[in-house]
Amino acid sequence: MNALPARIGALLLLALALSLATEGFATATNLLNVLRQASLLFLVASGLTLVIIGGGLDLSVAANLTLSACTAALAFKATGSVAAAVATALGCGLAVGLLNGLLVAVVRVPAFLATYGTLWIASGAAYWLMAGRVVYGFPPALRGLGTGFVLGVPTPVWIMLAVAVAGGAFLFLSAAGREVFFTGANEEAARLSGIPVRRRRILVYGLSGLMCGVAALVYLGRVNAAEAGLGDPLLLPAVAAVLIGGTSLFGGAGGLAGTLVGALILTTVTNGLNLLDVGAAWHPFVTGTIILAALGADALLARRGA
Amino acid sequence: MRRVTAALVLATMLAAPPTARAADETIAAFSKNQVDPHFEGLRIGVDQAAAALGATVRHYVPTRPNNIAEATSQLEDVVAAHPAAALFMAVDARAQLPGVQRLIASGVPVVNYNDRAGDAPFVSYVGQDDFALGKAIALHLFDHLGGRGGVVILEGVRGSTTGDDRRRGFEAAARERPGIRILASQPANFQRLPALQAMENIMQRYPRIDGVIAAADAMALGAVEALAAAGRANVPVVSINGVPEAVEAVRDGRILAIAEFNGFRIGCVAANLAIRHLRGENVPREVLLPGAIITRANMAEWLVPFAQRRCPPPIPAT
Repeated sequence: MNALPARIGALLLLALALSLATEGFATATNLLNVLRQASLLFLVASGLTLVIIGGGLDLSVAANLTLSACTAALAFKATGSVAAAVATALGCGLAVGLLNGLLVAVVRVPAFLATYGTLWIASGAAYWLMAGRVVYGFPPALRGLGTGFVLGVPTPVWIMLAVAVAGGAFLFLSAAGREVFFTGANEEAARLSGIPVRRRRILVYGLSGLMCGVAALVYLGRVNAAEAGLGDPLLLPAVAAVLIGGTSLFGGAGGLAGTLVGALILTTVTNGLNLLDVGAAWHPFVTGTIILAALGADALLARRGA
Repeated sequence: MRRVTAALVLATMLAAPPTARAADETIAAFSKNQVDPHFEGLRIGVDQAAAALGATVRHYVPTRPNNIAEATSQLEDVVAAHPAAALFMAVDARAQLPGVQRLIASGVPVVNYNDRAGDAPFVSYVGQDDFALGKAIALHLFDHLGGRGGVVILEGVRGSTTGDDRRRGFEAAARERPGIRILASQPANFQRLPALQAMENIMQRYPRIDGVIAAADAMALGAVEALAAAGRANVPVVSINGVPEAVEAVRDGRILAIAEFNGFRIGCVAANLAIRHLRGENVPREVLLPGAIITRANMAEWLVPFAQRRCPPPIPAT
């Protein structure tokens, strides 16, 4: 829980080092650029954070993003309607999420396996629907969700902030949110104290799926194309963003502010590597080292504090 | 047991009229993923060439794109299935070399196609010269820029032969044009979103970029979106591949030019050579297909959907 200040410290240290190392980093446009790049990762990771806090896991997020984006793209091409694309993305995301929720809460399949199964189903459905095609070219109304600006700040950043605030309010201010924490901390105790564990489970998986639908719209807006492998690079970074942010893999502790910081750390690393023109061969090594350094600093600080 | 098998084989051979000899000719064709239209074109080329000679094709494609573990286990499946011949490309040449060596040792003739899969006794290699493609398209951009300016390179996957050879080609071209400066050369994994984000990042550092070289179409299209969103749509972008979506971008002036890396033709020629080898012909050890430079002036040919294209005439026997 108390990892958050240390992770914010790690992010600030990383930012400080990059501002000294390269002129391109500490500019308003680059910071907005990093926020915009982090938004997609954060949106995918945000619902996942709720699931993990509730003691579950959702491995299907990236595949759900893919399927939601592909179905939305096809819906737009079939109807020419942006509203249809939005409804399809959100509906598809939510449906996959609810399927996860039912599998975990009602059929009682372990979360890892249930969502591993839906990962394959969602990707398989995307491969089948797309059949090797790329669907591309969307109208300004949809593109705006990814490339637009409101008051000088990119639209996806506003969406990210809105999700962070609404999600935080849900987790920490609503009864249902607190029940998610209890469920994750000790399912048996939660059940005995009258918390509707099953309904809370379905709720968090449904929200996780819905956020994949939102992320799918931002993706289509930004990239202007959908293909069956589009979400693949996001699964591990999404899980990493949640855990770097201090949410416990064992449930019961965490929050969206941490996930935001986690997404920003991962995005900032790539931004820095690009700005410094670090050779491709070094990217994986440097990324791993910085992530471990960010986590290790925290562990050291915690030990010294104790 | 062996005698029964031999009798069965003999019976099938006798039962089949000479022209339908192809009934036993099942070709296993490997490709890397189901998402890149390049491989879709390649599979259509393989199917068309095989159908023309009356052979059957079974495709092996990892369900997770470019997944080494899955591609490796599919290779093992093919060793067990023992097809008449195989068309092979590696997702990871080093990891899959022992597997393909076993396949060849088991008596299956293998044509290596698309990109080099390492040192094994292949019947033939069919591909294109990635270094030459990289160099040609980079020179095209540099000459368009009048031989001077700052250029950004978006690389594929470091460690893949395709990606590395293309990058060496870009760099060789830059050495021939001393007025060209490589501002940044960054990896984008042959994918759209990583290319878009790498381009967004590099633009933060360089207020002026005169041109962009992408090692594949998907990355070029990602870069084009990033440049357009930043109001820099006038920066010329060049690429390698020539999938229909990218050729449309050439038509619309969003991509300057593409060095053709033609999966459809590679598939056609590789399947044709494998089947003719099976039928006792001596086929060339290596076929490097030339790649055109696709520009606005000549792009119409590459807008034809793969399924409506025709395989080129067969390469003569040696």
